Amino acid sequence: MKQFVIVADLDRCIGCHGGCQVACKTEHEIALGKSRSTLYTMGPTGKFPDLEMYFLPLMCQQCENPTCVEVCPTGACYKDEEDGVIKIDGDVCIGCQSCKRACPYDAIRFNQEMRISDKCNVCAERRAEGEEPACVRNCSGKALMYGDINDPDSVVSKAIAAAGEENVYSLKDFGNKPAGRFILRNAKWIDMLPKEFEQMMQNGGEYRG
Amino acid sequence: MEKLQRTIDALAIGGWEEVLPKKSAFESCPKCDGVKDDEVKVIKTCCRACIANCGVLAYVKNGRVIKLEGNNEDPMSKGRMCAKGLAGIQALYHPNRNKFPLKRVGERGGGKWKRISWDEALTTIAEKLMDTREKYGAETVFCSTGGGGNPEIWSIARFCNVFGTPNWFEPGCAQCYLPRVLAYTMMYGGVDPSIADSNALELYFPDDTPIKCLALWGTSPAYSCPASGGNAVVELRARGVKTISVDPRFTPDAAKADIWLPIRPGTDVALLLSWTRYILENKLFDADFVMKWTNLPYLVDTETKMLVRAEVSSDPNVPDTFMVWDKKTNAMQPMAYPFDENLDPALEGEFVVDGKVYKTGYQLLWESVEEYTLEKAGEICWLDPKKIEEAVKMFCENTPSGLALGVATDQTPNSVQAAMAAATIDLLMGNVERPGALLQRFRTSGVLKMPNYPVPVATKCLPEGQLQKRLGGVEHKGLHIWWAGHPSSIRDAILTGEPYQPRVWIDRSGNKLGVVAESAKWVEAIEKLDFIVHMYMYPTSFSAYADILLPTEEWLETDMIVETCNKLFARQAVTHLWETMDETLIWSRLAKRCAELGHEGCQKAFDAEFMGEDLPYWDSMEEFFNNFTKVVGMDWKEFAAKAPFEYLPKDEWRTYYVYKNIDEATGKPQGFPTPSKKLEIYLESMITLGRTGQPFAAEMLPPASKDYEPLAYYLEPIESPLGDGELQKEFPLVMTNGRVPFYHHSTLRNVAALREMYPVPEVWINPDTAKEYGIANGDWTYVESLRGKITAKAWVTEGIPPRIVYMERFWNPETLDTKTHGWKEMNVNVLTKSTAPFNDVVGTYTLRGFQVRVSKADGPPEGVWTKPEDFKSWLPAGHGPTADPSKEG
Repeated sequence: MKQFVIVADLDRCIGCHGGCQVACKTEHEIALGKSRSTLYTMGPTGKFPDLEMYFLPLMCQQCENPTCVEVCPTGACYKDEEDGVIKIDGDVCIGCQSCKRACPYDAIRFNQEMRISDKCNVCAERRAEGEEPACVRNCSGKALMYGDINDPDSVVSKAIAAAGEENVYSLKDFGNKPAGRFILRNAKWIDMLPKEFEQMMQNGGEYRG
Repeated sequence: MEKLQRTIDALAIGGWEEVLPKKSAFESCPKCDGVKDDEVKVIKTCCRACIANCGVLAYVKNGRVIKLEGNNEDPMSKGRMCAKGLAGIQALYHPNRNKFPLKRVGERGGGKWKRISWDEALTTIAEKLMDTREKYGAETVFCSTGGGGNPEIWSIARFCNVFGTPNWFEPGCAQCYLPRVLAYTMMYGGVDPSIADSNALELYFPDDTPIKCLALWGTSPAYSCPASGGNAVVELRARGVKTISVDPRFTPDAAKADIWLPIRPGTDVALLLSWTRYILENKLFDADFVMKWTNLPYLVDTETKMLVRAEVSSDPNVPDTFMVWDKKTNAMQPMAYPFDENLDPALEGEFVVDGKVYKTGYQLLWESVEEYTLEKAGEICWLDPKKIEEAVKMFCENTPSGLALGVATDQTPNSVQAAMAAATIDLLMGNVERPGALLQRFRTSGVLKMPNYPVPVATKCLPEGQLQKRLGGVEHKGLHIWWAGHPSSIRDAILTGEPYQPRVWIDRSGNKLGVVAESAKWVEAIEKLDFIVHMYMYPTSFSAYADILLPTEEWLETDMIVETCNKLFARQAVTHLWETMDETLIWSRLAKRCAELGHEGCQKAFDAEFMGEDLPYWDSMEEFFNNFTKVVGMDWKEFAAKAPFEYLPKDEWRTYYVYKNIDEATGKPQGFPTPSKKLEIYLESMITLGRTGQPFAAEMLPPASKDYEPLAYYLEPIESPLGDGELQKEFPLVMTNGRVPFYHHSTLRNVAALREMYPVPEVWINPDTAKEYGIANGDWTYVESLRGKITAKAWVTEGIPPRIVYMERFWNPETLDTKTHGWKEMNVNVLTKSTAPFNDVVGTYTLRGFQVRVSKADGPPEGVWTKPEDFKSWLPAGHGPTADPSKEG
């Protein structure tokens, strides 16, 4: 089965907030305060001046066993067999937000106006027209890639292979099997959910990885 | 079947679809001829959200811009756009755009305005200008620009020359880029290595540039220009190029660097001098290159500090002949240009001839850096000497290397010396015009005669004698390289009436009060002025104090010629809104009104024969651009239709070793465009500049109060954390500034998509320091200096050294109509210092490296917006394109 997904080379992400934030939001006309992807600042960790920091753009991880699909009472949230991408059918969605609560990565938003859930579909509309997803298209560091992770010849599979297993990470798995991958060679991967890490930092906590 | 959904949300940051005009408005969309209703037309243009000019594809439907994307044809941005550029649609359709010319009614600052016609606006301004000129002299009118978003800056200098006033200024200039331009122009003669100013073009060829190490000194391209320079550095790192970041902030580029030197703000020159000392002491420089292509072997008369000349040349193609100390004959000998192989010049040494003491340039350079050991630099700069050594070794052992100097060092009174010290390092290392070096003279199209922008400044139009009246122009003669005045001298003249009283201010810029140092002092000055005009795309704090407001165009409404590497691009008006007008035309129209009212200088400015290469003023942008596009055999229309295109193949454009090219006039290598044709590390011409204004001033000027120094020296910041005086007790922390990726200068704080991501400025505080002052992460925090008090939100982070704090410039458009006018709450320039000491050469004041204190605040300032929904009223408003008023009669 095909599994389209976004892969991020974090050594190339320079935290510019352009493609993954502004381009995504304008492309999908997303409300203020909402977004389909979040850019997390992972750090700085350590003690001045011996520090590390990287940025992590996070969107739907297109899980193999998606809890969002599992909990959806109407079937609006489904994994598309064509491309492996998890989508929400707005005509069927009743806006109960079960999917939003179920997502361990906080990658689903609620569209207040339409009263439906909303998430990254790897720019299905753009892909249908032969274009790259908006975030990939506009990523200043060319950190973001997309493709079929099950196809060894895809851009993402090749990038993962070139990086070497020891430099490829995925978000914490709760049995949902996230398909997204992150490449990181030049800093130590922080094995926490980005949102939890950010909250810990905001509360003045110290990361002891 | 898959459903492709388009959801519209009331708070959608795009929101275009529902506000698209129902009827076609093609007649006013210049590039949409023949396009049908609802058809999407893609127009190739260029961004101007900052100064990088990235290539853009603008998607237009029914005359309305619906999407922006980077243009893959751009050799620098390579098809990427950053947050600032992508937010261009929100800036364009902002409901609070300046839409029509406005005239103040009621008292100044009262916020009451009346719509007037362009005709009335221009007539009112011209009459006031003429009246002021007649009563008090043209010099009492002054103009200014800056603040970001400018299509070009030379129109302001040109108008001032034509009108007869020597006074225009930019809060940039001496505080931004000019010190670097000056030092590299004088020492090298080619292009400076500022990445954010779209230089260091070698970096954009990652696949074949041999550069091995890049020092990012006071710059983080990831933040200043992510799509172009930011991306270039990413590509180089991915190919193994080593990077060094010299920056007190742990920026993305610092985080990804091999070595981070978190320097104390304002001490860069001490660190640069320690690098030079290390390079000289350990003989790490390119000895052959230094001997043959720099002026360091030349002898200097220690009494006059001038180089010793065997012969003064009267031929401009031939440099003067300088003296060296020949080791073979043990005597002073003339060194024929470029190099006399029969001589064996001493690089080091002091020589006495007839009782006079001579030293080589090298010797004087060594003496100027001798005290700056790694340990001493470590002490001054708050750095580990071992780390400094590691960095300088990495830079010297991995050549070709390059030192990309950013804006940081331009923002202290030690500005020009920092640029001189930085240039010295690359020149010593031979990082000049060889493949991999940042300092290059790649070819240009010849379309633009002026630096970066086309408008000729027409210095000949300034009446004789007026230049002597340029405020600050005698003391800070380096400003003449950009024909600019000195902001603090102009401000002080307004406050004191000395040497004369400026009365009328025409400003084209973003928020002046957000970018000039010590904003409150400027408001005092504003209150003394007779008449103020402000032109911009939207109202800013400064507008609140104006008498007339003129609506200018957003970048999506303007045309401009853009040169990017070996290609020419066209910024093209994609649409037009309200009654906005291109600034370049506004100045022309104003000159025309003054001409009609009898101003002889303005009348002559329309005379093609008199103006010659300076061009007569223009009636339309098309007419203006035709003067330039003809260089490539096209008129503007054809140029715009074909752009972007290559004016030279890449390999012909990328020319190395230009100095080795044989000059047909002399049969010798052409050398560098400096007086000696050598790299002038010992910058004798600084002395001449200070005494006469030459080679930049159009007239001979009286000497500055003190000679400018030919070699860099370190100045401890006037407000220093060293010592235990009253200042250090009251204000114990060092403040610095620096970019965030959301804004350029004072622009875009009114754009919802950006403000929701960075709603208020952060003050970065190290956890140890924060603890001392009882501040926790996210706390509202007062920040105070000797000059004022503001509020910011604390980011308690290890990413800033203890006892140093950082803040980005900010203002709050949401409180524009309150008594603060948005500049008092969170504006770090309330705290900065606009008074002496200034940099001797260019008059730089203190924007970085001054003392502050922090304390916990109760909450945010009144009326300041912090939550994403707060910005709702700034979302794009529903209006379609309009006719351009400049095209109507």
